[in-house]
Amino acid sequence: MQVLTRYLRLYFALGRYGLARELSFRVNFLVKLFVEVLWLGILLAFYKTVFGKTTNVGGWTEPEYLFFVGCYFALAGLIEALFLANCSEFAELVRTGDLDFYLLKPIDEQFLVTCRDIDWSSMANVFMGAAVMGIALYKLDWPFDPARALVFLLMFACGSAIAYSMLLLLTSASVWFKRNQSLYELWWLFTSLMRYPREIFSGKWASPMGWFFSFVVPILLVVNVPARLMVKFLDDPALVVFTAAVALVLLFVSRKFFRYALRSYRSASS
Amino acid sequence: MKPVASPHDVDDAVEERGRETEEDVRSIKEARIVRIARKYGNILRVSLIERLTYRGDFFLSTILRFLPMVTTILLWQAIYAGAGEKPIAGFSLHEMIAYLLLVHISRMFSSMPGLAAGIARDIRDGQLKRYLLQPIDMLGYLASYRGAHKIAYIATSSLPYALLFFLCREYFDRLPDLLTLAAYLCSLFLAFAVGFFFEASIGMIGFWFLEVTSLLYVVNTLNFFVSGQLFPLDLLPPFWAAVLKAMPFQYMAYFPAAVFLGKIQGADLVRGLLAEFVWGVVFIALARWLYRLGLKRYSAFGG
Repeated sequence: MQVLTRYLRLYFALGRYGLARELSFRVNFLVKLFVEVLWLGILLAFYKTVFGKTTNVGGWTEPEYLFFVGCYFALAGLIEALFLANCSEFAELVRTGDLDFYLLKPIDEQFLVTCRDIDWSSMANVFMGAAVMGIALYKLDWPFDPARALVFLLMFACGSAIAYSMLLLLTSASVWFKRNQSLYELWWLFTSLMRYPREIFSGKWASPMGWFFSFVVPILLVVNVPARLMVKFLDDPALVVFTAAVALVLLFVSRKFFRYALRSYRSASS
Repeated sequence: MKPVASPHDVDDAVEERGRETEEDVRSIKEARIVRIARKYGNILRVSLIERLTYRGDFFLSTILRFLPMVTTILLWQAIYAGAGEKPIAGFSLHEMIAYLLLVHISRMFSSMPGLAAGIARDIRDGQLKRYLLQPIDMLGYLASYRGAHKIAYIATSSLPYALLFFLCREYFDRLPDLLTLAAYLCSLFLAFAVGFFFEASIGMIGFWFLEVTSLLYVVNTLNFFVSGQLFPLDLLPPFWAAVLKAMPFQYMAYFPAAVFLGKIQGADLVRGLLAEFVWGVVFIALARWLYRLGLKRYSAFGG
């Protein structure tokens, strides 16, 4: 318990420091926010255009798909705000040997490497995504159901945990790869798998691919399970339990892998 | 491993022993060929190792690079399935996917990563003065530099792209005729000019503002949409489609791809190419004008 409060206090202090630093370049911060708003605008323009020509995509109707877009935007924003910038610096820390300074500190290495800074401008995406989800629920005439909302939040957390674990696995690999081409780009390419509903993976070669990315490399579950649970009303308890189990297993595995990677770190050029 | 003798050493050795018997000379000549072969073999080996130092990284990113293309194809298949397989804004499913693949070719010519940021950096840290001291024009130098890079890049990436287009050949229902193909090549070269001088003009803003990277983010994000990289501009409501087609950005992605697919023909094609040419000239003039204007307030700090 004491450990937990210590880490919470530490995280709070780190977050506050990050915000103070971010706000010392206010115009830059505002421009970054503006770019995020633009991205959401582009996503929504795409969504509007597509649904101007059709009524459903992979079995998702217009408001349902809107909810999916909001869920994706919020979840991707959360990962970006909390972890992506930190993880993308890891390759450079390994290359220059500056990782030594992190390893020497009396804090958990994984916490320090992945959580030391918060990108506050991306945090806005979480709220914008939540707003989009709210609008979608309103359009759907969603009957208020606190139990379902609670399970949704739980699944959202599990989805984030899965995404975080995958990010950590990718990050750890840079101990061996050395120069990781910007992790931002790799992550963006990789997460193209969670950007769309799982149902689009149909057809003779796409179905096995969809299965692979649901059950072997479960990136497809990240946004699909929470969004589906909330708007499709199709209860698939097995998938919900599976997602929760996957999240726990992956958190454990990625931590092990990260520590294994650290053992291969050779502290060169420091 | 034995150290490789330098060419100089080899020559000396042959000269020294030149007076010996003919048989010896022959064996020395053979040895020399072996040595030369080994020398260049080693250079080849070292260069290969150098290229493959980051092979894990290279391999992973190459595979991942295909993922968005795959998911985009699947998404559009689902969209067309939802729309009852009818053409959308005149694009059949095959044409749509072909378009999204062709946009990559357009961007191969028109994208200029780091150009504006580089110009702004040169202005900020004073490196710009090397163009002022040497008898060389900055824009001319950068244009030929970029041109060379583009040629090398296009040459090396033509193989993977050939493979990609071969795998996706079913989406290309018919190939364009020779005249269309010529127009397509024209539009691609002009796309390079429009892309280069547009980006250079943005970089010139560095004369007035110290920090342009955040502005570049905004421009690049907007450009992604208004140049038609996300979907053909024809899908937009007529008013917005007309607005975006009147702007220069479409020539960096939409226009060449649409030409290849035969969406723009006859008088429209000629008009489009002319407009693309005019936009190229406009951006050349704009970049030059901003450069001249900027130099008046440039104070060559740093460097």
